[in-house]
Amino acid sequence: MAKWFARKPSAAPGPRPDLEARAKLRIGIPKLLNVWTTHQFWLGFFGALGVPNNRVVFSGDTSEEQAREFGRGRGTVDCCYPVKCGAGHYGELVFGQKRKIDILFSPMIYSLSSFLQGHVADSLACPRVMAGPENIKAGFLKERDVFAENGIRYVSPLVSLAEPAIVPKQLYEALKDVIPGLSYKETRAAVDEGYRTLKGFNTEMRARSREILEWCARENRPCVMVLARPYHMDAGIGHEIEVDLQAYGYPILWMQYFPIDDDLMQWIFGPDMAAGHIKSPFDIDDVWPSSYSANTNEILWGAKVAARVPWITCAIRLTSYECGMDQPTFTPVQQIIERSHTLFFSFQELDSTKPAGSVKIRVETISFYMQQSSERIIEQKQAVTPPGCPLLPQAESKLATAKAELAASA
Amino acid sequence: MNIVGMDVGSTTVKAVAVDDKGEVVWRDYQRHNTKQAEKVHEFLLRMEAECGLTRERDLIFFTGSGAGLTAPMVGAKTIQEVVAVAAAVEKFHPEVHFVSEIGGEDMKTIFFVDSGSGKAKQVYMQSACSGGTGTFIEKTARKLQIPADQLAIMPYEGMSLHKVSSKCGIFAEADSNSLLKSGVPVEEIIASLFEAVVYQNLATLTKGNTPAPQVLLLGGPNMFFKGLQEAWRHHLKNVWADRGIELPEGADVADMILVPDEALYYAALGCVEIGKGEADGVGVYLGPDRVKWWVDEGQHLEKAKEGGKALVNGTGDLESFASAYAAPKSCNGVAEGRKIDGPVYIGCDFGSTTAKAVVLSPDREMLYTAYVQSKGNPIEDAKALFRDIRAGGVKHVAGLALTGYGKDLLQDIIGADLGVVETVAHARSAMEIFPDADVICDVGGTDVKIMILRQGTVADFRLNSQCSSGNGAFLQGVAERYDVKLEEYAEKAFEAKAMPSLAMGCGVFLQSDIVNQQRKGWSAEEIMASLAAVLPLNVWIYAGQLQNLRSVGRRFVLQGGTHRNMAVVKAQVDFIKNKVPDAEIVIHPHSGEAGAIGAALCAMEAADGVAPSGFRGFDVIEHLNYRSTTSEDTICKWCPVNCKRAFIDVELEGAKGRSWSKIPLEEGWERVISGNSCPKGLVEDVNEMKAVKAEMEEQRRVYPNIGEMVREKAFRRAWAPT
Repeated sequence: MAKWFARKPSAAPGPRPDLEARAKLRIGIPKLLNVWTTHQFWLGFFGALGVPNNRVVFSGDTSEEQAREFGRGRGTVDCCYPVKCGAGHYGELVFGQKRKIDILFSPMIYSLSSFLQGHVADSLACPRVMAGPENIKAGFLKERDVFAENGIRYVSPLVSLAEPAIVPKQLYEALKDVIPGLSYKETRAAVDEGYRTLKGFNTEMRARSREILEWCARENRPCVMVLARPYHMDAGIGHEIEVDLQAYGYPILWMQYFPIDDDLMQWIFGPDMAAGHIKSPFDIDDVWPSSYSANTNEILWGAKVAARVPWITCAIRLTSYECGMDQPTFTPVQQIIERSHTLFFSFQELDSTKPAGSVKIRVETISFYMQQSSERIIEQKQAVTPPGCPLLPQAESKLATAKAELAASA
Repeated sequence: MNIVGMDVGSTTVKAVAVDDKGEVVWRDYQRHNTKQAEKVHEFLLRMEAECGLTRERDLIFFTGSGAGLTAPMVGAKTIQEVVAVAAAVEKFHPEVHFVSEIGGEDMKTIFFVDSGSGKAKQVYMQSACSGGTGTFIEKTARKLQIPADQLAIMPYEGMSLHKVSSKCGIFAEADSNSLLKSGVPVEEIIASLFEAVVYQNLATLTKGNTPAPQVLLLGGPNMFFKGLQEAWRHHLKNVWADRGIELPEGADVADMILVPDEALYYAALGCVEIGKGEADGVGVYLGPDRVKWWVDEGQHLEKAKEGGKALVNGTGDLESFASAYAAPKSCNGVAEGRKIDGPVYIGCDFGSTTAKAVVLSPDREMLYTAYVQSKGNPIEDAKALFRDIRAGGVKHVAGLALTGYGKDLLQDIIGADLGVVETVAHARSAMEIFPDADVICDVGGTDVKIMILRQGTVADFRLNSQCSSGNGAFLQGVAERYDVKLEEYAEKAFEAKAMPSLAMGCGVFLQSDIVNQQRKGWSAEEIMASLAAVLPLNVWIYAGQLQNLRSVGRRFVLQGGTHRNMAVVKAQVDFIKNKVPDAEIVIHPHSGEAGAIGAALCAMEAADGVAPSGFRGFDVIEHLNYRSTTSEDTICKWCPVNCKRAFIDVELEGAKGRSWSKIPLEEGWERVISGNSCPKGLVEDVNEMKAVKAEMEEQRRVYPNIGEMVREKAFRRAWAPT
């Protein structure tokens, strides 16, 4: 009773021991699969719930050392390396942290909030990728409950990020017992914050891509576009093949973060829309009618963009060994790009080891052809693109002048 | 009543006979030297004589990879090998949780997991590749000429280990050879092989299960090689420590790893155990007569039945082939009737074993070729090569390009105008003879390269140097075994009127398959023909992973040393035309010089006719001043192989030197590294890595990569508006 009276009036809402406890939580998130495209959602979401960003720990990049040290013997039977390597990520979070984590949070992402959403049939994740955590966790529960032994709560909710209305419910159900004092209302607000953070980050990356494109346009220099699933950004999955190419002096764009500003979209896709091939710049129905998978849709869209932007003189395709989602897209992606005279190289069957010798030879090969043909490719592509490229600063003014002249002469 | 269990394996036959009381009354184990049926027959006769095996009364059960053929002939029921082994283990060792059985050409693991109602079994097996099997060890031991009794007692513990390919027996042999050459003792090489076998078993056949004690090691290699047992003990001890598996009070790791005396007979004993529970009338012994018939007649009939086809179908076939595809020749020296005067373009291909050069006239005529065997010092190689070119009459060099392994090392030193990556050089040269080529297939001695061309570029590139399947090495090995010169291979193979069909895949197993076919009565030329016939399958499907050849195009260029063998070319042509009926196939006329020709053509195209070539001149190359250093500081530390490298420092105008090096180099000198066995060794040490990295950092800043920004920013903190 005495405590009640001793309280200062300014502390009216009351102390929140649950909030204090949350601020002390450590949450480990395996940096794998579609976490590579939803990273900022989780940072924003947990941040809004009171878990500071520096207490949300992501595992490191995939590597053979990681697998050997933390995942050895816990591997599961799966030929999809991006899933299989998960054992190393889980192991790193369980055994490899200086300060132990309390929660291992590994979302099963059912659908993704793609920028193509609304223009395609659906934005689902690969089912194998979605269920990946189920597969990986088995290696830690098969003989003994390794999570429990290490004092870790394992949380792996199904999350439908393409349907924002049901996400709060999914996350609330999964987290209500592990995040102290969690309410549904709070969860809903935190989900909103997650989306807002992710959108902000994506917008910033797109702005950076636009800067690169504007530089290329201004200097008439070539750049490379990578067409791959988001987790190929992981140095151990994509093996940083694009970095080797960057070292030869080519800026690198990733399709996921291509700028989608109106002016640019209109310039790139205006003629297709006018001809009635597509309804919006984000419509891929002309090349890919079965548009269900978010990452696949984006790859096809990226191919269309790469084919149309003059300064993208080369597209690089990365795919992992035996990827069933990628298989049917090989030919369409290749044909879309090659018909525009853009160089196309694909690195297929990527697996745990970087085939360093063969990659080195191939990167040198690509660099040779880019050096030899980029100038010609830019010219060829420019010849069929509409005037008034918004990437060129003078274009707008030129256009304005031309219009003014036209008006004056009339 | 006796029950017989017979295990017919890939290299041995093992059998046990058990009487009514469950006592083993007869057992034996012998190598069959690929005569499986003969050995089975011999064992049956001996059992009849020595322990009273009686037809129509006793029961017989077969297991093993060779059981399928002979079991029905004697009335035996066939039992799957792993099932048989598991049955024996459950009877004799109820406390065992993990079994490794290593055979001649396969490996298996069985995990026994305690479950409520007894034991659940998890079984894994691998029999497609030699990695991790007994053959893997024996093949190299034979090459190193280690007698079997000595191999059996060679240790693992306390030995320094070296890097040996654990994946392929043929490469392990090659690795062992180079270790031997660099002075590594035989004992250490063998210990490294034991390491590779255990590693391969644990890496591929555990799949998330912990090999918990007790552990049972079965099969010939596990039983006979003391060193292999030691390697298992070493690795299992580590696994158990990692996983926090506690051993029973006072028990030692060694106590938990059992190698029973009957290790060889477990599959056979398991057959007997399972046989006991079979219904009446199953597996009743019918006597050895049909096996005898098979040995004497049946297998030869089989040969006649199988041999319907040959590499050549009638003389017309060979004639039309011969007129369409002349044998490619390699030439050296001045091409006939052509004079070298005026400016020329030179392409050099510095490979790891040879250096070649081609001299082209401005109208693309081949004027001269030069060739030197590498002596391990790239500067001396370059001197020798250019001495040869000069002697050929070349005076005015209008353009020079390098390709191959040495291109980066020598470009500045020789003053080449261009360094051309191998693929581009090959593609360029192929397009010269076949402008619309879709695919270049280069089969060398130790690797297979497939280049897929589109839009005039090398769009895809397959390199197989991890698995020996498909390369020329085993072709050569077999020709040697038959004492046939490689040049006469085709002639012999074309003589064959029929040939056996060999299975595509692992080169090591192919070798034992050959022995098997030989035994069936196939002659040397017939086997040589079949070996050529299986090569395209290995090249395109097994090594190249191209199931659908049509998808890569219809215009093929074949090159590389192995395509000098016309039997291979014939097989390639038949194979490709079968898959791609409208295929056009060309044999590169200067197969060995393809890279150099491509480089010369690139040099010609890069030259604008105004700027002179950067070639430093014959005199400068001839008098290149260099010093070579080999010391503790030049040993490569990037991996445990520790190559003894040489630093060859060349005096060169304008060179930057290496002030940061452990063996510092003043300005005006350039360093060339040689003696390394892989590209990593071209980087001197951590200091150079830092220098290289700093350069790359700068490059990255100037040419950004969105992926890198995501890697750096996305996982640190939540985005906030700025």
